[in-house]
Amino acid sequence: MSLIKLTGLEKIYQQGKIEVPALRGIDMEIESGEFTTIFGPSGSGKTTLLNMIGCLDKSTAGEIVFDGHSINDLNSKELAEVRRYNLGFVFQSYNLIPVLTAFENVEFAIRLIDKHSKKERRDKVMSLLEEVGLGDMADRRPNELSGGQKQRVAIARALIKEPKLVLADEPTANLDSETSKEVLELMKEMNEELNTTFIFSTHDPQVMDYARRLIEIKDGKISKDQRRD
Amino acid sequence: MFFLKMAFKNLTRHKKRTIITALIIAFAILIYVITEGLMIGMTEMSFDNIINLESGHLQVADQNYWEDRKELQLKNLITPAAEIENKISQTDGFEALTRRLNFAVNLNNGIDELPVTGVGINLETDSRVFELDQHLVEGRMPEAGSTEIIMGAKLAELMDFQLGDYAIMLIRTEEKTFNTIDGEIVGLFNTPHPSLNESNVFLPLSTVQERLNVEDKISHYVVRLNDQDLASNAAEELSSRLSAPYQAYSWRDAARSLVTMLEMQDIETQIILAIILTLAAVGIVNTVILSALERMEELGMMKALGMHEREIVYTFMGEAAGIGLIGGVMGVIMGIIGLAIFNINGIDMATMTGGGDMTYGFPLSGTIYAGWELESFIFVFVYGVVVSVLASVLPALWAARKDPVKAIYHR
Repeated sequence: MSLIKLTGLEKIYQQGKIEVPALRGIDMEIESGEFTTIFGPSGSGKTTLLNMIGCLDKSTAGEIVFDGHSINDLNSKELAEVRRYNLGFVFQSYNLIPVLTAFENVEFAIRLIDKHSKKERRDKVMSLLEEVGLGDMADRRPNELSGGQKQRVAIARALIKEPKLVLADEPTANLDSETSKEVLELMKEMNEELNTTFIFSTHDPQVMDYARRLIEIKDGKISKDQRRD
Repeated sequence: MFFLKMAFKNLTRHKKRTIITALIIAFAILIYVITEGLMIGMTEMSFDNIINLESGHLQVADQNYWEDRKELQLKNLITPAAEIENKISQTDGFEALTRRLNFAVNLNNGIDELPVTGVGINLETDSRVFELDQHLVEGRMPEAGSTEIIMGAKLAELMDFQLGDYAIMLIRTEEKTFNTIDGEIVGLFNTPHPSLNESNVFLPLSTVQERLNVEDKISHYVVRLNDQDLASNAAEELSSRLSAPYQAYSWRDAARSLVTMLEMQDIETQIILAIILTLAAVGIVNTVILSALERMEELGMMKALGMHEREIVYTFMGEAAGIGLIGGVMGVIMGIIGLAIFNINGIDMATMTGGGDMTYGFPLSGTIYAGWELESFIFVFVYGVVVSVLASVLPALWAARKDPVKAIYHR
């Protein structure tokens, strides 16, 4: 059974009296453990598609099935529950909470699940921070970290609750090529180690090189879907 | 707990803004505490003046006399009796008892005439109940059985009297015939009770009884207790032991209009507090909206991570509570300092009334010293925090209901 199944997905934005179609019938399936990149030019609809998969936005038509359950009819509270337990997000601008330390930023996501004891939480967060190479920077606030380190914290925050899927919207856009490489290596490592499904949106060729599946979006439609071994 | 911790950490993002918003709440609390403190001071002083100079703690009179007592008619007077006085002396907290006879007087200086209240006092016992003798600024108290009188320095000034002058007092006897008393002014007083200074003349009870031809009758007994808080219950209990038409009245009954006025003032103070804190609440609303706008991407991230609207609202409410707590602590500290200043130095009533002699019906004059009550501090502190939290609810809901996609991309 696929983790995500999109059938005839459409999204039309209303801008005043004008209807702007962002997605024009997407059919796609993503299996568990995939490391997929969605790429395409600006305005092609890749971020919209990511938002639909991430339960952040609702489609105009079509169906989204996540882990065997249709999410079309879920209300905002139910969608929040799906995101809370099953999804991790990595944003282009990291979106870390500046008043919290690296440890607390990662802990924040696991706190929402609230199924671990304080000690378990601490051990889990520290172990993940060690894995992303920030074990000795747990007490630093975001303004004391470099861009790459911030993105590592964001990745740790996305992975801490062991989600079924991590969505990353242009995760390397604000990083230099060397740091981008490190971050991508890390995500690949996590994908292989934890079997977590990763979907990226990007137009960075370096990111595409790491993907095992490449999906190209043009004018709101899938124009290419290529798997690599 | 985590959300609360995060909320408090959020307060450190813009320390200046947090402090300024908290200061608005602190000033609201300060104004309330000072106003309330002065009101407490005025109330305590007013009550003290009424008790010590006008009504004592209890009065015992014929209930028909009491109802029309302000008309100063010589009707329904009482004849002192050992039996009544024994019953009065058995009252809980009893300290002293005196007899008084109030009557209407037209005070004449040979040119002008002024209606005032004459009070016949028992010179042996009056000072055990009242403090009139402590406020003499010139001369002495009258001698028993004489036609010597004392009056307020203010009244003397108004009527152009001086110590040693004779004042002609035109009175009407019980039979409605006119009589006069040529009273020698032997003392002038200046009490903190303005109406007493301006419209009362005191002279020996026996002289008054003789000139009014009322034999040994008095208008009422006045009782001093060792605790003013006992008065209401004592009046009730004493009334139950007295037979009709005698009735006991507490100082609160005697100062009914003042008590009502002070209760109204209390409501006024609460309204002032509500208005000031509402203005402070605008500051909170502003702070929450600014915070939400600045943190829109963060809010989007929080929603993406699955945070519920309720949890986001709690976070903002926690921040507002933090601001309320900081403002509350600052306000209470500032209030304590402000009250200490007004408690030690006081404030001249003339300053509050624009330099005039107006007292707005309060039986007090001179310097008012602020009082304080722990309850006021607790109330205003809690009120400040609650108003802060409530003020944050709507803007927090607005922030929490933002579409996550629009929030993440700050559209």
